[in-house]
Amino acid sequence: MSCITNKSIKSPITPTWCPGCGDFMILNALQKALVELELEEANTVIFYGIGCSGNMADFNRAYGFHGLHGRALPSAIGAKLANHKLKIIIIAGDGDFYGEGLNHFISLARGNHDVTAIIHNNSRYSLTTGQSSPTTKKGTKTKSTPTGLVEKPFNPIASALVAEASFVARGYSTKFLELIQLIKAGVSHPGFSLVDVIQLCPTFNKKENHPFFAERIYDLAAEKHDASNKMAAITKAQETEKVPLGIFYQDKESMPYHAHLSQLEKKSLVDQWSAKTNIKKAIRKFR
Amino acid sequence: MKTTFTLNWKIAGQAGEGVMVISKMMAKICKRHGLQAFNYLEYPSLIKGGHQTGQVFASSKQASCQKKDLDILVTFNKNGFKEHQDEITSKTLIIYNSDAGPLDKKEYSHLTKNIVEIPFRSLTKEKTGSFNAANIAVLGASAYFLGFNLKIVRKIIRDEFAGKGEKIIKDDLLAFKAGFAFAKKLGQPLKQTPQVEDDQILLTGNEAVGLAAIAAGVQFYSAYPMTPATALLHYLASQQENYPLIVKHSEDEIGAINHALGASFAGVRAMTGSSGGGFALMAESVSFASMAEIPLVILEAQRKGPATGLPTWTEQADLSFVLTAGHGDLQRVVFTPGTVAEHFELTIKAFYLAEKYQIPVFILSDKFILESHQTMTQPELKHNHPRQNMIKSAPKDSSFRRYKATKTGVSPRSIPGQKYGLQLTNSYEHDEFGFGTEEITPTIAQVDKRTRKMDSIAKEIAQPYLVGPKEAETTFVCWGSTINVVSQLIHQQSLSKKKTVNAIHLPTMWPFPKKEFTRLAKLAKKLVMVEGNQSGQGERLISQETEVVFTDRIHRYDGRPFYAEDLQSWLEKNSK
Repeated sequence: MSCITNKSIKSPITPTWCPGCGDFMILNALQKALVELELEEANTVIFYGIGCSGNMADFNRAYGFHGLHGRALPSAIGAKLANHKLKIIIIAGDGDFYGEGLNHFISLARGNHDVTAIIHNNSRYSLTTGQSSPTTKKGTKTKSTPTGLVEKPFNPIASALVAEASFVARGYSTKFLELIQLIKAGVSHPGFSLVDVIQLCPTFNKKENHPFFAERIYDLAAEKHDASNKMAAITKAQETEKVPLGIFYQDKESMPYHAHLSQLEKKSLVDQWSAKTNIKKAIRKFR
Repeated sequence: MKTTFTLNWKIAGQAGEGVMVISKMMAKICKRHGLQAFNYLEYPSLIKGGHQTGQVFASSKQASCQKKDLDILVTFNKNGFKEHQDEITSKTLIIYNSDAGPLDKKEYSHLTKNIVEIPFRSLTKEKTGSFNAANIAVLGASAYFLGFNLKIVRKIIRDEFAGKGEKIIKDDLLAFKAGFAFAKKLGQPLKQTPQVEDDQILLTGNEAVGLAAIAAGVQFYSAYPMTPATALLHYLASQQENYPLIVKHSEDEIGAINHALGASFAGVRAMTGSSGGGFALMAESVSFASMAEIPLVILEAQRKGPATGLPTWTEQADLSFVLTAGHGDLQRVVFTPGTVAEHFELTIKAFYLAEKYQIPVFILSDKFILESHQTMTQPELKHNHPRQNMIKSAPKDSSFRRYKATKTGVSPRSIPGQKYGLQLTNSYEHDEFGFGTEEITPTIAQVDKRTRKMDSIAKEIAQPYLVGPKEAETTFVCWGSTINVVSQLIHQQSLSKKKTVNAIHLPTMWPFPKKEFTRLAKLAKKLVMVEGNQSGQGERLISQETEVVFTDRIHRYDGRPFYAEDLQSWLEKNSK
């Protein structure tokens, strides 16, 4: 089989993001991670939500599914159940994943479906010109909240943990090499992996720029955080002044959803396709 | 059989008294005698209490719906007398469960000759030590009065409770025997049910859709429970042990349709289902399925709306919605099957068309037929359903175009896992590779390509057809489940050699079969639309699509199905 290469993954289309957008770094980190993981081109599928991040659909040359806002998650799960041999990655933004698709997110985490969600978290709805998103800080003035946002921000890391996600990590678009490693760890994890990526948005979130984050971020691993300790992970997830990066939690015993299905013990669902069906068993109770 | 044998039996009781189970068993017994049977259930949206009924009409000729004039009414309480007085005739035998208290002689004096009393609950308790099998004692009494073959009944009891343990089966058989023996002391049997060869199956519309889905190679069904589509979820879930099939109880209806779309994209035949309220949540994804050209079959199981409406009652008022659900100009097929057999046939066709043309295909049905049991001739067991418009391999030079603008508008499809078949399935307007575009030329090319598919689809849909005599004074026009009632009326008229009514049934509402419908409509003397909604949604569609004009219309929108008897009265009132 042919694996994804630096060359093969590049699409003929030039990215349309703003100069300085964190999405460039996430795209590059993703491509690099897929190459380093030596994933088979034919068996890797990327599902995209709608937003600046979702526009990445045109910038990768891969099997792709550019669905609806908030709905990349359930589609990705359907595809994984149909063919669990596929490596499935979801690219979505904070508005898409933590807003419109929140019920799907919680359900996905609870089900421990073996997909990796890379969430471009810039705390703004940037493609629609900068309204507040679920992760925007309380009090922030945006076009949709001119007197300041009343809601407190959604905590994706803590929420994923209490929703039983088996791999929860946070990356930062500017920490490129670390991000590659996080994506690789997430994709290699058997079960649901959330990689929340703090993404700079120089156009609509100017205040939360690199200097802002530079003095707040720190590496969880360097602090000797025990990623197998869920309570420690939840405590770390509550930090708001500082921004911990790295793997908060990984369940080493994780058993993905599809591994519970006896129908999939021997072959993937799509590999069990037959053009012929005998309904003898299905009809029995109607006789 | 020269003369027509019929029986019409009904049971009324509270939820939790086993009304539904026993009613289905009665229909099954009739089927095993070789009769056609129809089992209609009414129940409120609650788990215990309330007023619930099951009724079985069976015939050696035609039994396609429920009927009013009862041969037997079994009632577990006094409510049954009041609720069903319209269905009681001078010949009706009323079996009253006397454990519900003595009847006031004055109040029921007009029914003295009709009523027999059997203490079903105490009788069952005496024989088995519990009240659980009281409904089976009813079966015993009914079997006596209707002259059933007892071997058949005992077999049905064993079949129904197989897997629940020998103790339960033993108690059921004891209760059955006690009910039978008690009834025998009360009078002569009303009927002697004949027995001929049984070549039928008995199932609900939901089950026919599920069975057909399996026959068509369904491998993925995702849904969120909602009456009256829930039984399809249950049936398919139960078949996971027999077929390479995954049934996903999704987090909500939006999740359900997108689970199915993802699975379909990955190469398995997929389906979702809900009632109107749940389907409303799916609308954006119908638009997506059409745009991205992902095959999908959707059951839209109508119930009485709007909003939560009457959750466990029937209506045909989602037609306009299903025809237009989803933003933008999009392609779809809407089947509106009538009989249970037609649900089977058109669900198979729905899967075929969905994959061939890469579009959403709807089975639009309703509570009345989806939750009623009806007999149909047993279908073929072996089904062949090869892949449609899916590539076996892709060119090595990466030139595969997922959305190639072909003459027919149908583009060959690759699925993930296929080497060189890379493609982007896209909700944005896209070029032939699937990459997003906002350019004029590819936009028009893709819109036109998708639209072209409808020309070929129109040639493959199920055409409208005439039921009954070629000529008649009145021609009823109906879509969906209504034909079951109209056919029963036409059959009854044929028995009395009247030829006053025939019908045009529309099993496809979109794309609308203009030509064939217009041809049939032109043959009619007087066209009358019969549909289960208030606003005349079917008629409105016909007016939009054809020049056909109706003389009159009959609408029902109280949650109840049509009755052949009511249509008969309407004809009598409205004939010159």
